Amino acid sequence: MTLSDHTLKEIRELPPKYPHIRSAVMPALDLVQEELGMLTQEAMTQVAQALQVDPGYVEGVATFYSLFHLEPVGKHHLYVCNNLSCQLRGAEELLTHIKESIGVSEYGQVSADGLFSVEPVECLGACEYAPMLRADHRFHYDLTPAKIDTLLKEWRGDREGKKARKEAHPRAGSH
Amino acid sequence: MPAATELRGSHGKAAGPVLTKDFGTADLYKLAVYEKIGGYQAWRKALTTMQPAEVTGEVKASGLRGRGGAGFPTGTKWGFLPPPDGGPRYVVVNADESEPGTAKDRYLMENHPHQLVEGILIACYAIQAHHAWIYIRGEYDLQHDLVAAAIAEARTAGYLGEQPLGTEFPIDIHLYRGHGAYICGEETALLESLEGKRAQPRSRPPFPAVKGAWGRPTLLNNVETLSTLPWIISNGGAAYAKFGTEKSPGTRLFTVSGDVQRPGNYEMELGKPFSHLINDLAGGPFPGHSIKVWWPGGCSAPVLTGEMLETPSDMESLAAIGSMGGSGGVIVADDRRCVVRCAYRLLQFYAHESCGKCTPCRVGGNWAVRTYERVLAGEGTAADLATFDRIQTGLAAGRCLCGLGDSAGWVIQWTMERFRDEYEEHILRHTCSVEAAARA
Ligand SMILES: Cc1cc2nc3c(=O)[nH]c(=O)nc-3n(C[C@H](O)[C@H](O)[C@H](O)COP(=O)(O)O)c2cc1C
Ligand code: SF4
Ligand code: FES
Repeated sequence: MTLSDHTLKEIRELPPKYPHIRSAVMPALDLVQEELGMLTQEAMTQVAQALQVDPGYVEGVATFYSLFHLEPVGKHHLYVCNNLSCQLRGAEELLTHIKESIGVSEYGQVSADGLFSVEPVECLGACEYAPMLRADHRFHYDLTPAKIDTLLKEWRGDREGKKARKEAHPRAGSH
Repeated sequence: MPAATELRGSHGKAAGPVLTKDFGTADLYKLAVYEKIGGYQAWRKALTTMQPAEVTGEVKASGLRGRGGAGFPTGTKWGFLPPPDGGPRYVVVNADESEPGTAKDRYLMENHPHQLVEGILIACYAIQAHHAWIYIRGEYDLQHDLVAAAIAEARTAGYLGEQPLGTEFPIDIHLYRGHGAYICGEETALLESLEGKRAQPRSRPPFPAVKGAWGRPTLLNNVETLSTLPWIISNGGAAYAKFGTEKSPGTRLFTVSGDVQRPGNYEMELGKPFSHLINDLAGGPFPGHSIKVWWPGGCSAPVLTGEMLETPSDMESLAAIGSMGGSGGVIVADDRRCVVRCAYRLLQFYAHESCGKCTPCRVGGNWAVRTYERVLAGEGTAADLATFDRIQTGLAAGRCLCGLGDSAGWVIQWTMERFRDEYEEHILRHTCSVEAAARA
């Protein structure tokens, strides 16, 4: 999968926003992931060319940070917090429930309909609402298996997901 | 864009005296509301009536100490920057908040973003920086957008930009998103990440004050630290120092989570006992249960026991019992919880988040995880007690480049120190009476 001309143009416009061109690499990878849902080898090479940095450098950055997807994920990728505060409030049970409900046996595996994948993550900074998860750039709080069922039902009706941040929070001022 | 959700913590009638004093005011995140309650008056006062050194002087007089983790005196830190040389210098805001059990910076950003923006402007003026960068963790989408909207509103109103309040002191505030790595909260790793690199801590010296972001003098402060500044400038450093203790002045926004009835973010004067925070403010343990173990400042602060709840919350009192104030994230676990299992969970965290730069941390974390797995599966042997000790001492005493390695070691060291019988029960008798009782 390669990038559209539109996204490449946006990437080429990034560098002047930063004191050094390297700082534009991660924002560029964000744009890639918004368009393709993941970082493909070809797209990372395109980013390297557009920003005139070494392709190995781009890959080195992409592999360090856990929010970058190097493998396909579902249209709705669920980041379920499983650090201590959430675990004390039942995160393990939720994770098991989610895996069963979407029909996957492993974390990171995409459901047969392509809609879902789930991943346990470290503290998301919303521990007073534990257990919680993040999906489509939003937080969901005070979760129970029943609440998960409601969310999954809602997401099943939304077959495209909301990869773009601007759609998740419409008034997003990009700065 | 509404504020995120129901407020859990200090707000309304139960608001704290400094950081959360206006929490509960409808639409607090909007500029018009903030102006109505006196917003940006501290900025006006600093920029138009005070010299930069006077601003730093007030912060020194307040005794404010950094709320990010290390508790370093803020005014002193500001004084470390070399005099302006005509080149760029930066204020970098640590909004990476990833310490387990800590959610207070999120609470401040999503409910009161203008208070933070005003604090950033004051810091920029004090150290004569024309650019600030907010490094915000990538998972904070709504919070990013609310802060961005606040910056845009403040720019339109003329509080920042080419000529803030008509003066010749241009300031711009930029946002930079993280991408999921706990280590980015460590200040030099944060700078590496801001420069677009893999986030591995730098060795110091040089310190960021001298050579920070893009090789230039940089002041790094936490969101809560900066959010305190408008109050200090409005009311004076001496007034702030009246709160709290002599060495830990002021108030702090604590996050309380885990096995309590009213988890939330509570502002409390430093020095008041943790029993007030946990029992009175956060509702205490669930009926029929008691608090067994708690972490006073994120899981990186050495663990304490239920008998220690009367410990005063100032940094000196915590240091006296071998712990620390850390991030202010208080994690509480009750008598149903197996300490060995909690420690296992935390070591998984440190092993996962190790940046891999130093060997004791990279290897020790994974080794500990494998040992915990064996022990929890009932396959431990007496040698494992020694193994835990070996890993823990290997991580201790400055053998690692940054605090992550130390913290991983402390989890092993202090859970073993304070709950030795639980470790022995698992390792020598292959049982867990705590979990058996909880299941019964
Ligand atoms: C492993 C590690 C993680 C850290 N994470 C954070 C964090 O998420 N937020 C933060 O403000 N400080 C964090 N710190 C502390 C920072 O390095 C730094 O001391 C702090 O941001 C300085 O700001 P302050 O003086 O206002 O506290 C962390 C430190 C270490 C060693
Ligand atoms: S202690 Fe761990 S996280 Fe810190 S620099 Fe060393 S390897 Fe990286
Ligand atoms: S532990 Fe789950 S949000 Fe902090």
